[in-house]
Amino acid sequence: MPPAGIWIDGLIQSCIYMTMAFGMVLVFSILGILNWTHGQFYMLGAFVVYYAFTAVGIPFPIAMLISGVVVGGLGILVEKFIIERVNVPSAQGALYVTVATMALIFFFEGAASMLFGMQEKGLAMVFPGVLDLGSFSVSYQKIAVVAFTLVIMIAMYIMLNRTKVGLAIRAAAQEPDAAGLYGISVKRISLLVMGIGCALAAMAGSIMAPVYAVNPFIGRIPMIMSLLAIIIGGLGSLTGAIVGGIILGFVNSVVAYRLSYFSEVVLFAFVIIILLVRPQGLFGDPLK
Amino acid sequence: MKKWYSIATIIVITVMMLGIAAAPRPAHAVEPIVIKVGYTTAMSGPAAAWGQTERLFFESFVEVFNKKGFKVGDQTYNFKMVVVDNKNSPEGGAAAAKQLVYGDKVKFIIGLWTWNFPSIAAVTNPAKVILMTRTGNEAVPGIYDPKKMPYVVFGNPSEEEFISDCLALVEAFPKYKKLGILECTLGKGPGWDYVLAALDKAGVRYHMEFFPPGTQDFTPYITRYAEAGCDIVFVAGWVGEAMAFAKQRWEMGYKDMKVGHTGPLITPLAYIGVCGKEAAQGLIAEYCAPWDFKKTKVKSKYIKMCREAMKMASEKQGRPYTYTGGIGWFPSHLLILAQAMEKAGTVDDTDAIMEAIRGGTFSTTAGTWTMSGAKTYGSPVVFGTPGALSTIKGDKEVYLAEYPMEPLP
Repeated sequence: MPPAGIWIDGLIQSCIYMTMAFGMVLVFSILGILNWTHGQFYMLGAFVVYYAFTAVGIPFPIAMLISGVVVGGLGILVEKFIIERVNVPSAQGALYVTVATMALIFFFEGAASMLFGMQEKGLAMVFPGVLDLGSFSVSYQKIAVVAFTLVIMIAMYIMLNRTKVGLAIRAAAQEPDAAGLYGISVKRISLLVMGIGCALAAMAGSIMAPVYAVNPFIGRIPMIMSLLAIIIGGLGSLTGAIVGGIILGFVNSVVAYRLSYFSEVVLFAFVIIILLVRPQGLFGDPLK
Repeated sequence: MKKWYSIATIIVITVMMLGIAAAPRPAHAVEPIVIKVGYTTAMSGPAAAWGQTERLFFESFVEVFNKKGFKVGDQTYNFKMVVVDNKNSPEGGAAAAKQLVYGDKVKFIIGLWTWNFPSIAAVTNPAKVILMTRTGNEAVPGIYDPKKMPYVVFGNPSEEEFISDCLALVEAFPKYKKLGILECTLGKGPGWDYVLAALDKAGVRYHMEFFPPGTQDFTPYITRYAEAGCDIVFVAGWVGEAMAFAKQRWEMGYKDMKVGHTGPLITPLAYIGVCGKEAAQGLIAEYCAPWDFKKTKVKSKYIKMCREAMKMASEKQGRPYTYTGGIGWFPSHLLILAQAMEKAGTVDDTDAIMEAIRGGTFSTTAGTWTMSGAKTYGSPVVFGTPGALSTIKGDKEVYLAEYPMEPLP
């Protein structure tokens, strides 16, 4: 049985993958695209909060919100001026979007390298200290990650299920044509959802900035992991994104503890098995 | 009478003019001839922090060096550094080498530490361009064929420097329980067999782990090290990962587990920013500051040059430049090259310069070295930086221990 520290670590990993995957699935369910730049919005969120906190002196929670707004706005611009234009209504549309968002990975990483430099940056001064629990201890930063994830998930649940906007998003996701007939602008909903998805990624990056180091390349692994979480949970399922994130976080931590660097091989094998046995994932609709 | 006065005046003036014409010309200051030296490094990508940081110091060192330059015969020469990004990738290395060799027409590429030696050597060697580089997995004994690469000079041998670092650690903490070694899977290769065999031979107790690229969460690895009884963990390169490791081990309660990494500290404040002040205390790194060396002798004029270059770099970047990592690399290579040119009596015949390097003795910013000739990777190289270590104390970097680089067979 792995020690308690490994399970706590699994919980932290789960939180981050869950938040990232949730944003990706939200975008997929409305726009029908996988935003490969999702990890770079995570990275940009971490940089925004870093500078807002260290250079401007804005309190960390407010800096996180600013990060969500700024990067969410950037996501809307990407949707409006790039994705919308290349997502032509043909078989090639999805391919163009894939290529465009993949190109943006390198664009954003390069731009961040030039603007912010390559050296690791840290926010260790935010929530310093550890909670000693006897045989192990947990940093307050990690406790903040769990609390943040809970708040975000509850907020997203309320927004999607208790507000008119949420109703419109769900309607547009289920029946875009019918939603349009009821006066819902699917175009506007697409922009909004892209903004929310990118804001979620940015805030995930923000909350992780004090836990890890910040550099222009930190978005790659969270992006891959959230993609795996989506595959496990089921593409297009918000519940699946949450469950997939939880499973992946714990599996990643426990397997790495047991098998060291072979953990990646096991993780990818696990995902391939899921694709073979249940290609729609745990919560996805059966493939027709 | 007037006639004779006129003739005498004309004669005097003529003699004076002839005298002036025949007098030796005033010595004009002879302008130094500039020799281009290629430097290709990671200026973009994850390793760029080192490339960008070092560049500033190297350029400053060249400026300091050029104040006197070096002489071949009566002619004074200066160096000019030509920098090209190689992205720390094989294809980037090949492109950078082609740019330097065929675009910038350099005959020397020095100071290479990135992981793309084979692709760079494949361009430089046929062009008879001298390449001074580190060793690594690409160049361990038995793999590298010196006959195919007569213009490659191996210095800063990675494996030997890592071994020296480990021995310096053991010397600094003689009561250690077990040394943990952490490396990325990207660095897996035959070089590690060589290192571990040497550590076995030296009786060092160790436990090794590899992590996949991009890892930020080291909790599973820290737990494994703790369970293996390691009280020191030394990370092979990977600054960001070492920072994350140091921070996370502190948060997990392993406060007595010492953490270090090869490669010098960029600045202690960067580590404090990422790890937090408490977790960063005692963090260990390589320390290439010749003014603090206790066991390696470096000529005082080179120490002075290094300090002047660091001061210059500080002025250029507007804050103190404290990174010592470059001192044993590009400047060492530059000094070897200049001294070899002086010995060879030529600045462009790379065959003659290589001949001077083989078996020659050179004074560098990392000590004085005699190139043994045939057996060091088949390359005439036995120089490198000592296994000198520093540690973070407060927000300063202080000397910890040193294990001299021993001449290789």
